[in-house]
Amino acid sequence: MFSFTVRSFFQKLVTLFFISIISFLVVYLAPGEPSQIDPLNPKFTVEDLQRFRQEFNLDKPLHEQYYLYYKNLFTGQLKSWKDNQPVLGKIYERFKNSLWLFIVGTLITWCLSFPVGIHAAINRGSVFDRTSTFFAYVLISIPSFFFAYILIIFVVKTFNISVIGMQTFGMSGADSIYQIMDRVWHLVIPSILGALGGIALLSRYVRAQMLEVIHQDYIRTARAKGLSEDQVYYKHGFRNALLPFVTMFGLILPGLIGGSVIIESIFAWPGMGRMGYEAILARDYPIILTINFMAAVLVLIGTFISDLLYMVVDPRIRL
Amino acid sequence: MLIKRVLILLPVIIFALLLQSFFWVPTYDEQVKGNPLRLEEFITASIGDARILNPILSADSASSTIEDQVFDGLIDRDEDLKFRGRLATGWKIYEEVYFYLNPKVAIKGRKISDPEAVRKLLLAQKGNIKDVEIIPPQKGETEILMPGPDPINLKVRFKAPHRFKVTLKEVDQNFFLKMEKVLGKGYFKTFRPVDHIEMLTAGHEDKLSAIASQVLPATENNPVIIFDLRKGVKFHDGQEFDAGDVKFTYEAIMDPKNLSPRTSDFEPVKYLEVIDRYKVKVVYKRLYFPAFGTWGMGMLPEHLLNSEAMKREAEAKGEDPEKFSMRDSDFNRHPVGTGPFVFREWKSDQYILLDRNEGYWEGAPNYRSYTYRIVPDLLTQEMEFYGGAVDSYGVQPHQVERLKNDPAYQNFSGLSFGYSYIGYNMRRDLFKDKRVRQALGMAIDTDKIIHYVMYDQAERITGPFVKQTDYYDRGIQPMPYDPEGALELLREVGWVRNSEGWLEKDGKRFAFTLITNGGNDIRKSILTIAQDSWKKIGIDVKTDIVEWSVFIGRHVNTGNFDALILGWSMGIDPDLYQIWHSSQTNPQQLNFVGFKNNEADDLIVKIRQEYDHDKQVEYCHRLHRIIADEQPYTFLYVTRWTAVLDKKIVIKEVLPTGEEEIKKITPTRTGNYSFYFNKWIKLAENPVFGME
Repeated sequence: MFSFTVRSFFQKLVTLFFISIISFLVVYLAPGEPSQIDPLNPKFTVEDLQRFRQEFNLDKPLHEQYYLYYKNLFTGQLKSWKDNQPVLGKIYERFKNSLWLFIVGTLITWCLSFPVGIHAAINRGSVFDRTSTFFAYVLISIPSFFFAYILIIFVVKTFNISVIGMQTFGMSGADSIYQIMDRVWHLVIPSILGALGGIALLSRYVRAQMLEVIHQDYIRTARAKGLSEDQVYYKHGFRNALLPFVTMFGLILPGLIGGSVIIESIFAWPGMGRMGYEAILARDYPIILTINFMAAVLVLIGTFISDLLYMVVDPRIRL
Repeated sequence: MLIKRVLILLPVIIFALLLQSFFWVPTYDEQVKGNPLRLEEFITASIGDARILNPILSADSASSTIEDQVFDGLIDRDEDLKFRGRLATGWKIYEEVYFYLNPKVAIKGRKISDPEAVRKLLLAQKGNIKDVEIIPPQKGETEILMPGPDPINLKVRFKAPHRFKVTLKEVDQNFFLKMEKVLGKGYFKTFRPVDHIEMLTAGHEDKLSAIASQVLPATENNPVIIFDLRKGVKFHDGQEFDAGDVKFTYEAIMDPKNLSPRTSDFEPVKYLEVIDRYKVKVVYKRLYFPAFGTWGMGMLPEHLLNSEAMKREAEAKGEDPEKFSMRDSDFNRHPVGTGPFVFREWKSDQYILLDRNEGYWEGAPNYRSYTYRIVPDLLTQEMEFYGGAVDSYGVQPHQVERLKNDPAYQNFSGLSFGYSYIGYNMRRDLFKDKRVRQALGMAIDTDKIIHYVMYDQAERITGPFVKQTDYYDRGIQPMPYDPEGALELLREVGWVRNSEGWLEKDGKRFAFTLITNGGNDIRKSILTIAQDSWKKIGIDVKTDIVEWSVFIGRHVNTGNFDALILGWSMGIDPDLYQIWHSSQTNPQQLNFVGFKNNEADDLIVKIRQEYDHDKQVEYCHRLHRIIADEQPYTFLYVTRWTAVLDKKIVIKEVLPTGEEEIKKITPTRTGNYSFYFNKWIKLAENPVFGME
């Protein structure tokens, strides 16, 4: 077991190294330059542009830039080109905001998917099952930004209420209870939207998993023992159906960054996904690369955790 | 069954908790719910965040919006776009000119080598000359940097003859021309600096003539500005603003360590001198009128940013003081200025918060706070406006019709500073003849573009000046839509329609490629319309949409294109040097269409050297006419912006009698509705004005 852990860990490290090289190359070799270097600004002379390139190390050979970039990243000296702020500090600030959205969104996803999936599985072929299947496919196929706009327009036009950002602006003079509730309100719509796709997918998994389990022999045995339906489904069925989802916990980690780009941009939510997106537009390489790197790390940690969890629940892996 | 109950109750509880928050949040009609202070807050939204809140380092519009509230410049522009004093109460502009005694040229038949005689001759000229000073001959050695592939410092020895310093009452770019009548033709041009210098760096004697005029320029025009500064103005931290701050701001811009994007604005400054605490003298190397407007830039507090303060900050942060520059300072995120609002907080990509400056020299603003929100999406910005969490909204062209007539809002509109155009690469044979360019312009129905693509939210433009200034000649008529006339013009050049309907000359078809950048739907539409219009008169046009960086890097900068659709945003200043002067046609420069016209060159230089507004206007009108006739661009339109405001926002003034007067917000003549922003306030209910 120990050797498996160590081997898996080293594999991940090597993968990370190659990811760092490839993502660096993709970013640096893409056409365009940081937005500070704006050749169409009449105020900039060619020498000015050259000075900026020097400042950003863009005049050095690629391998040297690669070295400098990762050296600065690991010593914590890396600064955003956009505003000269330390990259790690900026990302931490955003991470805290994304985390709220992520927690509430995940909570909604998992809390809703299980009841829906289980109910659909138990009453297979019923009206509920068919409607939930229908809506699940609708939610999976329609892009989330479209839903986001529809929902925003609907809520704002009906209630004339603010839904964008983390709070209603102009509330700084209000009581703290108003302010707290205001923040909660602003979490509702983006987190529901962020959760929709997840609910659709996850409830399908739950349904399939549950269906598989309730046709097992031990369920028939439980029924034969004379247990009530609820006990059969929730004690014997549900617990066994739950196993594969334990490992899925590891895989939701990367959603912290990648899952939120669109929703955060639409809702002006100051999170990591939006920062990454804006950094790409401004060609702020330090931010892009660091977020990229962190996403890679999160994915690898996620798979590592699910490897470990799998090992715990399924002894065959340990061999 | 516990698990079952938990599975059902948990989502219900979570949703109930989340949704009940709805009842605590204010709506548009109840903006004061739980929060009466909302009326004294102004909230505005922007697509992009500010980058760096330091007027000498920033180059983006979001930063400058905030800087305008936090900092004051020495001057700015008033309702009519004329200059007015801010931190400067007044200014005086005059000129100092220099030239050398030149005994070679005969003055009225005799050669004069006595400087005193020349001085008397000049002083006898009444009018513009105020004073003449004789600078005795000077000797010395100096080093000149010779630019080129390998720059080299050349050492020279010079022996200058008598020199005159003439102080003029007013700036006069034709001074030397006029003086030739007094001192003799060629008096200034025949002075040969080479005769008075000697190369000391061995092996470079051949470069002597190249650098001679740098060491001893035959003539020099040095315009001078003297600013009188406002007394008793305090920075937000209590320190008084004075001449030292002006000098510091200038020096900070020129310091190469700071990488200021404004260096080129202040490069023409020869030196800046503090005369006393409230008086500054700025002397320029050459005539360059646009330099005056640059003093509208915010003034930095010296005591917070000078080298000592930087050193202290670097040490506190544990960084190398040698490398630490103003760019790294915390000041850029916590600016301190003299402006109407005091900086409070900046959360990146969320908001920037300002409080009113109670001690503002012009009187504190009515609003208690100013919030600049960053909402990256236009639709959500609009939604926030409906929700009452943003006070103003910049309306999209297609929404104007609807929002203008909405009784809940007040609206303003005006022309923006910038235009869209189709530019032709005049280096290519196809576009060399101006009749071809005129014909191409006449074949496009710009009015239809304005109507259908821009929803009528744009106006025709005929030349490169800002339409609401007097530099723009409104007498020039836009190109008519006339495909027949276009064909006629093309026939004159030799392009005739062949049997298939294509225009042909010497067996070759009239064909070219029109490009524009991706990500701009309006340009994309124009691309298609232009292609179709030209096809109708028999021109075979291919189109291409290219990603911005490739567009700039491979096509614009290298001049590798036939025709392109692009836009310029402009300043009020009429300086067209970078975009239209023939010296700016090389790769990486902005005259990428390759427009070359001697008369235009002459006018462009004259405009930037002229300090008299009326003369400037006269030159501009002539230049406008030349460009409109030459048609290097097909000038399309300048867009019209529309903004809607909450109707409850009004102007509140306290009359001398102590009464408060409420007035409707009215835009200035040039369309600026927020000119009196400091007097704005929001009322709890919609105001009723007497006569409207």
